[in-house]
Amino acid sequence: MTDIAISLQGVSKYYKYYEKELDRVKEIMSGKPRFQKIEALKNINLEVGKGEVLGVIGRNGAGKSTLLKVLSDTILPSSGEISVNGRIAALLELGASFHPDMTGKENVYLSGAIKGMTKKDIDAIYEEILAFAEIGEFISRPVKTYSSGMFVRLAFSIATHIDPEILIIDEALSVGDGAFSRKSFDRIMDFKEAGKTILFCSHSMYQVEVLCDRVVWLEKGEVRKIGKPVDVITEYSNKMRMASPRKESLGTTIKGDESSENHEAAETPVKSTSVKAVPHILDIQVKVESNISKVHKVVSEVSDLEVTVLFGPGEGVPLASIAVALSGGDGRIISSAGSVQDAITLKINESGQGEARILFPKLPLLRGNYFLDVALLCEKGIHLYEAVRQAAEIHVEQNGLERGIVKLPHEWLS
Amino acid sequence: MNIFQGNIRNIVGGVSNPFRSVIGNWSLFTMLLKRDLVNRTSGTVLGKIWPLAQPALQILGYWFVFGVIFSVRAEGRGENFLEYLLTGMVPWLCVAEVLSRSTTMFREFSPLYRRNPFPLEILPLLIMAIPCLVYGAAYFFLNLFMGGLDKALLSLIVMPLFMLWLLPLCLLFSVLGLFLKDFTQAVPFLLMITLFLTPILYFPSMLPEGIKQFIWINPFSDLMALVHGILQDTEFSWMNLVRPFLIWLLLLGPAWLFYKRSIPHIREVL
Repeated sequence: MTDIAISLQGVSKYYKYYEKELDRVKEIMSGKPRFQKIEALKNINLEVGKGEVLGVIGRNGAGKSTLLKVLSDTILPSSGEISVNGRIAALLELGASFHPDMTGKENVYLSGAIKGMTKKDIDAIYEEILAFAEIGEFISRPVKTYSSGMFVRLAFSIATHIDPEILIIDEALSVGDGAFSRKSFDRIMDFKEAGKTILFCSHSMYQVEVLCDRVVWLEKGEVRKIGKPVDVITEYSNKMRMASPRKESLGTTIKGDESSENHEAAETPVKSTSVKAVPHILDIQVKVESNISKVHKVVSEVSDLEVTVLFGPGEGVPLASIAVALSGGDGRIISSAGSVQDAITLKINESGQGEARILFPKLPLLRGNYFLDVALLCEKGIHLYEAVRQAAEIHVEQNGLERGIVKLPHEWLS
Repeated sequence: MNIFQGNIRNIVGGVSNPFRSVIGNWSLFTMLLKRDLVNRTSGTVLGKIWPLAQPALQILGYWFVFGVIFSVRAEGRGENFLEYLLTGMVPWLCVAEVLSRSTTMFREFSPLYRRNPFPLEILPLLIMAIPCLVYGAAYFFLNLFMGGLDKALLSLIVMPLFMLWLLPLCLLFSVLGLFLKDFTQAVPFLLMITLFLTPILYFPSMLPEGIKQFIWINPFSDLMALVHGILQDTEFSWMNLVRPFLIWLLLLGPAWLFYKRSIPHIREVL
């Protein structure tokens, strides 16, 4: 009995590009290559232990999706050996092998049959799949009539109920909207706690760091670095920042299910009064010397910065947590504080809103422009419900001539 | 010798692999088969009548044109043209449907194999199965009515044998249809020409003497001669059996090799 769930030895994958499709047919007939190589993976050597959660990170086009497709046997490697020990369920590009004309129910059975399950096996889990997917009577309708959210929910529910030993998730940790996003996130956490092997590909570095035991960074189809999440992600994030400085505008809101560092965030007003079932940010007030504004001028080591976040607590979920970060113009986070990390339990105010207040006394930042980011997270501080990037802009002036970003507490000993 | 052995292996593989894959994925196969059957009738007023009504209407049209307007008659042989037409046309409609659909088979089923491993080997037999069942049932009752129970029972082997013979063509058409769009466009025309070059709408005896010998270049002429021979007691020779069998043997090995080599391309091309 081996402890290795997945092993890749010298795996390479190149896609074939043909100027004319006829060249492809000629090649198939003659066996003589007529293609141009587009290399997606180069000599990948990797072992994933049973029960390990491996994060796969990298820029778009780095080979992440190809790696997961090769592992899930959707495409074949061009060379190398792959050994998989256990049943795999894959959520690639948030999809499933659904027959568009078949009903949801038929597709449940079809997906199970593709995985080699018998009708009896699927009968045993059918009700659970249905209950989890929350698509109600639509289960009896063809999946081509489903909204994209319903499609994904059913796909996710099937993938996580067929009792895989290895779960492969590409691009989204939590799928669907609002409440389902949280539920799917919990489901994956259950997998982790049950000691299943998970391969998780995401652009959300925060989620990768929280969830994964180890992270592999792919660059141009090669393993650039593999190791502890904190080490790999720090190096990766530094590189990304240098390659593409932050270009967001003030008050950019990102929902939890679109939390990607590369996504084009929808710009929506920060202030919201709508009643929702899912925890959501209602208002962010940034105060300096009794003045509430989105843009502040502060004096280093003199001004107090106070941030108040009001949020809708949602329904049927534990009270959310809040994290606040200060970052520079290049997007690099200079400092952050989280209610979970500081063991603070937030409270509901008399208006029924969740409320978090944090004070940064005598702000020790040195001269420069900074931004304040706010994130609303689950009670464990892992699952992101909503984030507001650049909720406020802070222009710091200083009296002294010190250089740098922050003035560290110090004392001269002689 | 190696080439010979390789070809034998491919011929055996060409028959055994699709069937083995179907047996290994039986519940998946039957599920897709059932859906295929439902798709044919869902949303129609006449429902389950359509699978039989559609070929019947086509045959009626051909009979009207060739039997009534052109008054095709067998000269001195006493054969009934309508019976002759039906005996050849029903298997031909089945053949035409299978070949035509095979060109779009991979596009049609792409949602199933795009994101998950899916046994692509079952698809050729899947697209053959429904026409084989639908036309096979119609053919049985047709022959029961025209020639009695003996002929009806004999007719049961016609469609499966036709399908088995079509297997290499189906393998080739499916891959060519995916990679060469021009091929998909040309197939309806090729099928129409083949229909006219096969003695289905006319008796072979009606052809001019100089042309008669050339109709055997077309293997469907041999197959139709066999079908008419078995079900209508017309004359046929062993060559009508040997020629298509040799063609089948020659095609099957390379067709299977072609299909097998195409699978990695098929998974990636869409």
